[in-house]
Amino acid sequence: MFCPQCGANNADTAVVCVQCGRNLQPSAAVPLPAPGIVLPPGMTVQNYLVFAILATVFCCPATGIPAIIYAAQVNGKLQMGDLAGAKAASDNAKMWCWISLGVGVAITVLYFMLILLGVLSGLHSS
Amino acid sequence: MRTLLKLQKHYLLAAMFLSGAAGIILLRVFDPATSGVFPPCPVRYLTGLYCPGCGSLRALHALLHGDLRRALAMNPLMVVTLPFVTYGLVSAALVELRGKGLPQVMLPANWIRALCAAIILFAIARNLPVQPFNLLAPGALLHP
Repeated sequence: MFCPQCGANNADTAVVCVQCGRNLQPSAAVPLPAPGIVLPPGMTVQNYLVFAILATVFCCPATGIPAIIYAAQVNGKLQMGDLAGAKAASDNAKMWCWISLGVGVAITVLYFMLILLGVLSGLHSS
Repeated sequence: MRTLLKLQKHYLLAAMFLSGAAGIILLRVFDPATSGVFPPCPVRYLTGLYCPGCGSLRALHALLHGDLRRALAMNPLMVVTLPFVTYGLVSAALVELRGKGLPQVMLPANWIRALCAAIILFAIARNLPVQPFNLLAPGALLHP
């Protein structure tokens, strides 16, 4: 049979194409991802980009920037077909988002505590 | 009613929604420039420099009062990214509530890295005491 993906001539009983590796069995449950299309339908890997941007602008730029970089890495890995790498990058992005939120909350709490204790006298940005 | 019950299950989403709503109400009522309700930016307070987020609270206050020009003067980067961020937040909330978000475009990784570079360049530029970059400082565009 001829491979529908690359056109190579395979044996009629072939399971995969000898040239491109495409699954030749019509009863396959999950189609192999074609190059450029990485995810089986229904699956998604979060890149946390929105939270990373919010973390950078509102919480702490120093910890938000790594979150954005990992968010970029999620999409990059997905584009290359590296699902495991994308998940690892996604976990890192999520972690830096949470770190940013923690830093932002800690600074806010510290600020109001210092005001309450009279150390700071209600300073606000000029 | 069903939405309220679902909010009970998704306590994190409820907490975020409530704090977001509280923030918006506070920003509508109080002006971050003159009121002591909001904490200052720690980067600005400790170093005197503008971080990429400086002016974003004042920009939100301006937007909540319909003043787009003033909002852009305070933090143009935040105002420009706001529609996309809002769309992403709504989509994420919908995923949590009903399992499916809004239609999304798969952004190429290099676009995201370009955005990251733009944020960093914005932060550097707005601190330079040189025309035209210093127009990126909060409020600078209001006083030509």
